[in-house]
Amino acid sequence: MRVGLFVTCLVDMMRPRIGFATLKLLQDAGCDVVVPPHQTCCGQPGFNSGDRESGRAMARRFLADFESFDHVVAPSGSCTGMIRCHYAELFPEDPALQTRLNALSARTFELTDFLVNVLKVERLESAFQGSITYHDSCSGLRELGIKQQPRQLIGRVAGARLQEMDKPEICCGFGGTFSIKLGEIATRMADNKCQDALTTKADAIVGGDLGCLLNIEGRLRRLGDETTQVLHVAEVLAGPEPDPN
Amino acid sequence: MQLTSFSFKSNVRRKLIDPLLQRNMKRFGGRFVEARAAVMTEVDNLETIRVAAAAIRDRSLANLDSYLLTFEERARARGTEVHWAETAQDVNRILIEIAQANGVKKIVKSKSMVSEESGLNDAVEAVGIQAVETDLGEYILQLAHEPPSHIIAPAIHKSVEEVAELFSEKHHTPRSTDIPALCREAREQLRPHFLSADMGISGGNFLIAETGSVVIVTNEGNGRMVTTLPKIHVAITGIEKVLPTLNDFSTIVRLLTRSATGQSITNYVSMLTGPRQEGDLDGPEQSHIILVDSGRSRLLGTEMQKALRCIRCGACMNHCPVYQNIGGHAYGWVYPGPIGAILTPSYVGLENALDLPQASTLCGACQVVCPVKIPLPELMRVLREKSFEQGLRPWYERLSVRMWRGLANHPRLYALFTQLGVRVLRVLGGKKKLLHRLPGLDGWTEGRDMPAPQGRTFRELYRKKHS
Amino acid sequence: MSARDNILARVRRGLGLPGDTPGAERGQAQEYIQSAPRGPRPTYHWSDQAARFQERSEKLGTTVDRVSSLSEVPEAVARYLREKALPQKGVVWPGLDTLAWDREGLSLAARGAQADDLVGVTGAFCAIAETGTLMLLSGKDTPAAVSLLPETHIALLDLQRIVPGMEEAWALLKAERGAPPRAVNFVSGPSRTADIEQTIVIGAHGPYRVHVVLYGSADVQ
Repeated sequence: MRVGLFVTCLVDMMRPRIGFATLKLLQDAGCDVVVPPHQTCCGQPGFNSGDRESGRAMARRFLADFESFDHVVAPSGSCTGMIRCHYAELFPEDPALQTRLNALSARTFELTDFLVNVLKVERLESAFQGSITYHDSCSGLRELGIKQQPRQLIGRVAGARLQEMDKPEICCGFGGTFSIKLGEIATRMADNKCQDALTTKADAIVGGDLGCLLNIEGRLRRLGDETTQVLHVAEVLAGPEPDPN
Repeated sequence: MQLTSFSFKSNVRRKLIDPLLQRNMKRFGGRFVEARAAVMTEVDNLETIRVAAAAIRDRSLANLDSYLLTFEERARARGTEVHWAETAQDVNRILIEIAQANGVKKIVKSKSMVSEESGLNDAVEAVGIQAVETDLGEYILQLAHEPPSHIIAPAIHKSVEEVAELFSEKHHTPRSTDIPALCREAREQLRPHFLSADMGISGGNFLIAETGSVVIVTNEGNGRMVTTLPKIHVAITGIEKVLPTLNDFSTIVRLLTRSATGQSITNYVSMLTGPRQEGDLDGPEQSHIILVDSGRSRLLGTEMQKALRCIRCGACMNHCPVYQNIGGHAYGWVYPGPIGAILTPSYVGLENALDLPQASTLCGACQVVCPVKIPLPELMRVLREKSFEQGLRPWYERLSVRMWRGLANHPRLYALFTQLGVRVLRVLGGKKKLLHRLPGLDGWTEGRDMPAPQGRTFRELYRKKHS
Repeated sequence: MSARDNILARVRRGLGLPGDTPGAERGQAQEYIQSAPRGPRPTYHWSDQAARFQERSEKLGTTVDRVSSLSEVPEAVARYLREKALPQKGVVWPGLDTLAWDREGLSLAARGAQADDLVGVTGAFCAIAETGTLMLLSGKDTPAAVSLLPETHIALLDLQRIVPGMEEAWALLKAERGAPPRAVNFVSGPSRTADIEQTIVIGAHGPYRVHVVLYGSADVQ
């Protein structure tokens, strides 16, 4: 199975190790993973800021980079949601392009969804010492129905204990450019999320979207918490790997 | 109502540090959410009914003029006078004309958000007519000289202590924080007004074309009072509120009350058709309906038409994490929360409410609960597109969006830029790998650190590994 | 052009419909109104309408009593008022003044409600099992304020007039009355408010208590 890895711009820039963890998870499950070298961004930041052209340009680019694969996988519900739910509708004037985009969208998956529902992964060679509380990122949850998949996988990580927080489905306040444009509200929402997470006394706050994780970690550190880990689900599932830095 | 939506950001800043508001929002914020979730378990085919409800609203809107004409014809046949108001000012003018022609001195009002749009109370007071709000929440706010902060629970931002203070001061009674006692006090204050008013004003949850009726969905009984006791009843409602049939109403009301207050049905659902009939012992002698456009027709035929499906349940604001933190007043007009972020710019002009469509993480919680399936995030995005295209957003925002688009569309340039960027930021992040301040990203770093990047991009590391 | 014409023209323009007034669409709209299809509703998993009505009524804070015939109603009303230590007098729908209220020591005036009436006795056009709702029609013998102004509202309900849902209630209204009267009031329990701190308080502007006396038997006819 040839799988194209769409690493996403945030992971590419901020946390390459999430990209490598994703790569490892897919390879361990027997996929032939290719990383198209010219991939950049899904276009969501511009699209959500009112620039449709950002979405259209990136949709075309995505098609060029990934159309040849059996499947495309991204370690993000938000970017996958952009591709699956919004790309085709950006081209009402071009039904042929819409058909191609729809076909590709149907083969594009968020990582945990792909592992559970396509690859049917039963075993993970990973261990995590401690308790985990899981934050449901909005796009993954509401656009893609990702809820049980990460929990099911975390349940297969040796030593990991899932400790649900109150209201895990409420938004953390990231919202892409919202987190900068209306930073004060975003901070307050992140604060609420941190409180809910910290109440569980979990060792790690885990999620499936780096944007949310940066937002939560950023608030946590500003509040002076230096010990609670904030991890992407791929890092937990793939287990520790030597930092490439 | 005085518009302050243009200063949304400073409104927000004030509300976020208002300790009383913050405490009150935290105290009651979740109750509507829990009540809705509990009552929806009674509906085993919720999605089927939502789809049907949306289709009913779409049918009404797709032939709005036909249904309005049928409504008008049948309402007139029953003796209701039908008035048409193009603007909010027209609403006030028409209402004052009716009042003055009949020598009205006192008006009792049940809740009408459309009358908030036009600032009706101030307008009638200006010509010497007393207007008394009788919905408990609205009554509290009238005493406090505040606008509503929620469309179905207008005084949700106020605590019992504040109400106790207010009642004690205005009613000259001993201060009590016993909620039932406060409700009794309001009842006793308002009962004489119901009995002595010459005119009752209500909103209209729906207009029924089939029968020429107006329907109001209420709990307190004040809606029944104002439509039964005074000699004149005037219902004020938007032109989009028409439903073709009584059966359509039955489908919709099952979702309306459950979505709004978490009730299977409200205590009262009243359908009013014309003035009192021959031999009736009660009911108004005159029945009027003011059909209000005031920006609504502009939305027809555009992407925003779906917003006119709204049945004003308030579920979108109850479930909105932004609303939950800032409350309704920050939105600066009649309709707060996600639906307000769409209706306000649509009715008062995008340039007057520029930040409202941005006031959402597009988390989608509103869309999931909307009983008539309004794609609220999508509509907010449409308004963002309009802002962007019309150059209404700040220049630096437009520039950065365009720059990012250009960069992301040129992978080699993008690689160079990001490789350089992450190195610099890694160094700036220091030992703790945290950025405490980032020029241009103050919105972020004012309240949060920015975790520093690892220092190399994934693509760079991957290429090295695999070359 | 009048405001009405301007609004209607804007609506048509917005919707992309030709001309100033509706042509064929108006007829289609009227056909739809005529056909008035029923929408989907939750599964009705009960068969005993009265039992469901009672269960839902009680959930709303309404109290329910059952007697076997209309002639036993005055006694049941008197008993209720006595047990609750409520006044034995009030106002009754003129349509119900033939019942033997006096015999039970009740002083009920057959007229419209006045401000100081403490007890109001009404009938009901029908009731809805789904939600425990009474459907009251205004009329010369059935004034609306009797169920509104007094602190206690007592409604007499024929057991055979409990329909499953609101749709059947509308159908009954159309079949028996044709057009609706001035006011159709659906009443579901005593008035309430939650406007202070979202705390539910029973008794806002309307009645504090709603008591239903069900009479007759469901299985005859």
